[in-house]
Amino acid sequence: MSANAKIGEVLIDIQGLKKAFRDNLVLDGITTQIRRGEVVAIIGPSGCGKSTFLRSLNLLEIPTGGKIFFEGMDITDKSVDENKMRQKIGMVFQQFNLFPHLTIKKNIMLAPVHLGLMDKEQASVRADELLKRIGLSEKAQQYPAMLSGGQKQRVAIARSLAMNPDVMLFDEPTSALDPEMVGEVLELMKELADDGMTMVVVTHEMGFAREVATRVLFIDEGNIKEEAEPEQFFSNPSNPRLRDFLSRVL
Amino acid sequence: MSIVEHFTFNFIENKRWQFIVTGLENTLIISFFAVILGIALGFLIAIIRSSHDKNGNFKFLNIICKIYLTVIRGTPMMVQLLIIYFVIFGSVNISKVLVGILAFGFNSAAYVAEIVRSGIMSIDSGQFEAGRSLGFNFRQTMFFIIIPQAFKNVLPALANEFIVLLKETSISGYIGLMDLTRGGDIIRSQTYEALFPLLAVAVIYLIIVCFLTYLVGRLERRLRNNER
Repeated sequence: MSANAKIGEVLIDIQGLKKAFRDNLVLDGITTQIRRGEVVAIIGPSGCGKSTFLRSLNLLEIPTGGKIFFEGMDITDKSVDENKMRQKIGMVFQQFNLFPHLTIKKNIMLAPVHLGLMDKEQASVRADELLKRIGLSEKAQQYPAMLSGGQKQRVAIARSLAMNPDVMLFDEPTSALDPEMVGEVLELMKELADDGMTMVVVTHEMGFAREVATRVLFIDEGNIKEEAEPEQFFSNPSNPRLRDFLSRVL
Repeated sequence: MSIVEHFTFNFIENKRWQFIVTGLENTLIISFFAVILGIALGFLIAIIRSSHDKNGNFKFLNIICKIYLTVIRGTPMMVQLLIIYFVIFGSVNISKVLVGILAFGFNSAAYVAEIVRSGIMSIDSGQFEAGRSLGFNFRQTMFFIIIPQAFKNVLPALANEFIVLLKETSISGYIGLMDLTRGGDIIRSQTYEALFPLLAVAVIYLIIVCFLTYLVGRLERRLRNNER
């Protein structure tokens, strides 16, 4: 339980979050808190709203009800600068979404430089550091099309890290990867978690949820049906739908 | 008459080649500035339109743009040219070359706008989300991430539009502007020989278009260096 010792104050406070697409209610009043240093894994059947929940946290989806407080600020309030808020919330996508017209290094440098966080030299040093950390220094001048899926996702993580975010959101980061590349991405995510990064991870990797997460959420029918530390979550699930879900995926 | 004599008669005598040179000059000036006007206005319309399609901004401007596109694309270029010269600038003394630049530029903008908009819409929405999630605003995301990729994708279509524009300037004669085509035609009316002047005009258009095609091909290859 060493990871739990690092858990600090509430970073994201989600209060009764609702999201409807026309008449289709996808999120039905979700309430939970993400604390600094936590690694929260979110699992659930496809179409349950777990991705929509994650994407609401940085307003890629606009909630239709409820409130989200990020570092004490109500980000569902229209007057909040969503761009400033997003600078502190990194996001990693299932489809990587690297910028294909830029080299790997420029992918990493683009946001810090043009958003005025670093000058070119600082960003270059930072990019080199990050590339070294993810073990892709020799790919700096190549373009995303020349990388494997696992390498792309590691670069996407580095691109987010370059902004020094307070929390990282992962939207099924390994679902688009060939099986042999899943490990290298999960390994990097585990390192981040060990360094104390706050992470919210939508995933189908039960092994990752069990070993790395500090808390696991089960979302079904637009709401959190079970929420527990991984140990209890997997060994002693109380919700019948979760039991059913786990029996099919494990 | 031999070929050489025909040539001399049509082009050298009375320095008739000057009609061709002056006409070519006007054609190039009109085409060049109309392309610039077309790109500037076309990109602006494309950004307004796709911004509206993506997140509902610029409702009023979008309607203006749509009307503009409908009118420009729904009426013949020649009618537009005549209206701009005889109606809009009918009562003022204005350079015909300037009228040509405006008429062809405004016309081209409509086509450029739709080409660029299709390019913007063809970029995966994940690119847009990645930009926004890093903290870029809409304008920065467009400028740093979407437009560079869209531009590469639509380059062949844009090049085609500019080739069409260049050739379409050949109707400039209808407002009494001496472009390349009209220059050749003036020679024909003086010498009563159609073959040489018109052939010369056609060959010059062909050479310019081939040169443009070559340049665009080189640009395309340079932009393609990020693919495998």
